[in-house]
Amino acid sequence: MNPIDAIKNNWRVLLLVLFVGFSTVALFIPGGIVADDSLADDSIDDSPTNLEFGLSLEGGTRMRAPVDGLTAEDIDTGAVSDDGQIDQDRLDEVDATIREELDLDPADSNINVQEDGTVTAEVFDGNVTEAEFAAALQAADVDATEDDIRPGVTQETRDSIIETLQSKINAAGLSGGTAYESSTLEGDHYIVVEVPNMGASELREILSDRGQVEVRAYYPDDSGNQTNQTNQTVLTGEDIANVDPPEQRQRGSGYVVPVQVSEDAAPGFQQQMNDLGFTGEGQGRCNLRGDGETISFDHENEQYCLLTVVDDEVVDAHSMGQSLATSMSSGSWESNPTFQMGAQNQQDAQSLSVNLRAGSLRAPLDMDNNQVYSIQPSHADQFKQYSLLIGLLSVLTVSGVVYSRYTDTRVALPMILTAVAEVAILLGFAALIRMPLDLSHVAGFIAVVGTGVDDLVIIADEVMDEGDVSSERVFQSRFRKAFWVIGAAAATTIIALSPLAVMSLGDLQGFAIITILGVLIGVLITRPAYGDILRRLLTDR
Amino acid sequence: MAYFDVPEIDYTRYSNRQLAAVPLAVLAVALLVLSGSFLVYGTPVPLGMDFAGGSELTVQTTTPEGDIPAAFDEQPESVTGTSGDNQYIVRFSSTDAQALEDQATDGLESDGDAQIVQSVSSTSASFGQQSQRTAMIGLAVAFVGMSAIAFLLFRTFVPSIAIVLSAFSDLVIPLAFMRLAGIPLSLGTVAGLLMLIGYSVDSDILLNNHILRRSGDFYESTHRAMRTGVTMTVTSMAAMFVMGVAAYLLGIDLLASIGIILFVGLATDLLNTYMLNLSLLRWYKFEGIRS
Repeated sequence: MNPIDAIKNNWRVLLLVLFVGFSTVALFIPGGIVADDSLADDSIDDSPTNLEFGLSLEGGTRMRAPVDGLTAEDIDTGAVSDDGQIDQDRLDEVDATIREELDLDPADSNINVQEDGTVTAEVFDGNVTEAEFAAALQAADVDATEDDIRPGVTQETRDSIIETLQSKINAAGLSGGTAYESSTLEGDHYIVVEVPNMGASELREILSDRGQVEVRAYYPDDSGNQTNQTNQTVLTGEDIANVDPPEQRQRGSGYVVPVQVSEDAAPGFQQQMNDLGFTGEGQGRCNLRGDGETISFDHENEQYCLLTVVDDEVVDAHSMGQSLATSMSSGSWESNPTFQMGAQNQQDAQSLSVNLRAGSLRAPLDMDNNQVYSIQPSHADQFKQYSLLIGLLSVLTVSGVVYSRYTDTRVALPMILTAVAEVAILLGFAALIRMPLDLSHVAGFIAVVGTGVDDLVIIADEVMDEGDVSSERVFQSRFRKAFWVIGAAAATTIIALSPLAVMSLGDLQGFAIITILGVLIGVLITRPAYGDILRRLLTDR
Repeated sequence: MAYFDVPEIDYTRYSNRQLAAVPLAVLAVALLVLSGSFLVYGTPVPLGMDFAGGSELTVQTTTPEGDIPAAFDEQPESVTGTSGDNQYIVRFSSTDAQALEDQATDGLESDGDAQIVQSVSSTSASFGQQSQRTAMIGLAVAFVGMSAIAFLLFRTFVPSIAIVLSAFSDLVIPLAFMRLAGIPLSLGTVAGLLMLIGYSVDSDILLNNHILRRSGDFYESTHRAMRTGVTMTVTSMAAMFVMGVAAYLLGIDLLASIGIILFVGLATDLLNTYMLNLSLLRWYKFEGIRS
């Protein structure tokens, strides 16, 4: 046989060998086939393969939660004229009325003109009912009923939340964390956050804090009574342009986060500090003390304090220092508008810095209706070893049954090897596209071995039917018959699992995808090759 | 000769009615169990955490198993030991995972350097309902899709409906088994059920194909189809049994439930394919075609 004929006759086997070869490279050669430098070295560290593992095999936390809020879409505010002119004052008026009626913070309502010219109003507060929101809209002269209001928020808001969460996770110094959106068939949307190497409580903290930072001035009012004091917000998180990592306070206890105020806000802040007396008589006059977490407001003398407030909770209070006061009163501060925000402990300082950097969540997440999955890295590692063990046991069992059925190594051995090759190709593929493997994928791999061997049994039985295969022609016709059944079976498996592959039903997506891929690889590559091997072994006698 | 050989059954001794009676009776009992359970408990099968909501903690502690419930404010629904040293899976109906985690850390003795709470998962009730609906839709779509393929492949009513009927029975009987054995419906069991639709149809297609599309004696074709089909099913059953038992012992719920459901389902499939489907095909071949 000349080489060209040899290739022609064995191309199916050669294709299989080629695929297994590619997979081996993808699996074991560092960097794989497509070297991806974007991944830091630490993600490929000490594992002997290029496989990526998901949370359940690597450790970490995943949380899913809906966004808290109500939305009224396409409401008739009269703020958008027919030619597309937008009356911003009218929108602001509606917004203000809604807030007033529902007694909300400024951040808890939002009104927006969509691209198609319709107006959408949202409130972000779990305690507001649809009826109350409708009533508030009516109070603002907007013709809306309860039916116009749906739970949930707009796409825009969700996108903004995901962006903020992503930067919050990054700012917390964790690599590999992601935030994304998932939707159900009924159109409900969830925010999903996945962070490797983080416990549930830490992640819960990041997600449940909305992260609205404010600086409030706490100063004596005009009444003359020494203990009557006033609160006024002088800076919000949006006014902060740059944030440095937290550092320990040089004098005294506690931590500080050095920040730079934006150019737009700096002159106003400087003016306010001067007007309220912080740079004059109030210099250094703040005696409020904290217990490490909260601040006590029991005091006798007049106080001039700058309060650090996160999500309406006062986390620190301190006075205006002398050098800052001097540069503010001379007016030179606004050209270099930096100061330090205080925090009582390192954790608070860290989260303050994260909140300032990432900004606040546009709407809070509904943490009462969430779903959590969290696993310690050591436990996940255990699962990894167990999965391998279970996989090997399954392959061994299948081999045992197949061998005891055929007792012919010529039939059974290639069968087992082919099934294993199928898994090897799948693993290579998973490494190539860097699919993070979870427990559900492991189930998929085992299912692939199962269906794979089933189909090989069909081929073997069909081909060996009615005695030995005498000629090439007989083999081909029998093989084709067997393939009809295999194709039909493959089609049903793919159809049965395709809903899982596209729906987000927990962890099962991976299982479905791996099984479907396995069936495809089996039908297109490994099973034809097994036919060829069997033909060689049976006709060459 | 093989250690394991598929026995040849003398089908001529039994009438179609007799053959179909057994699987249909089992199916009827299964339906009865499910509907009874629906009337009594409100759900045909017990719902697991994934669908009913609740929390599950895997803890590693030297506290004896019997004293573990005392650490929590809420009485756990169950405490199960796993193969790991001093590892237990504790389940709750509460969904306040944070509180449970704190109580575990405070109330349980730590085992050396290991973290007490090794793994937490919790699902709120609303999330569970969401998943329930999604799973129902998924199962329905899968089943309808499978039926459509069966009809496309054989294009005749009786053989196609035989496949659909036996696949239906393959789903219902394991569900009734779950109720009787107290296995809750979880994401893993749903995956097992979906996989079952794919797996169980294989042997039906094989049988139909051999009988309808090949020349030759009915019983000869049946025997050949059985030899292949039973080998396939038994191989898969063996793999699933080993996977199910090993995963159960090692405390990997997802794999354990997929394995057990598939094992039971495949056993049911043997019954349905070679008694129900076969009797329908025999009727169709010998009487149905003529009429």
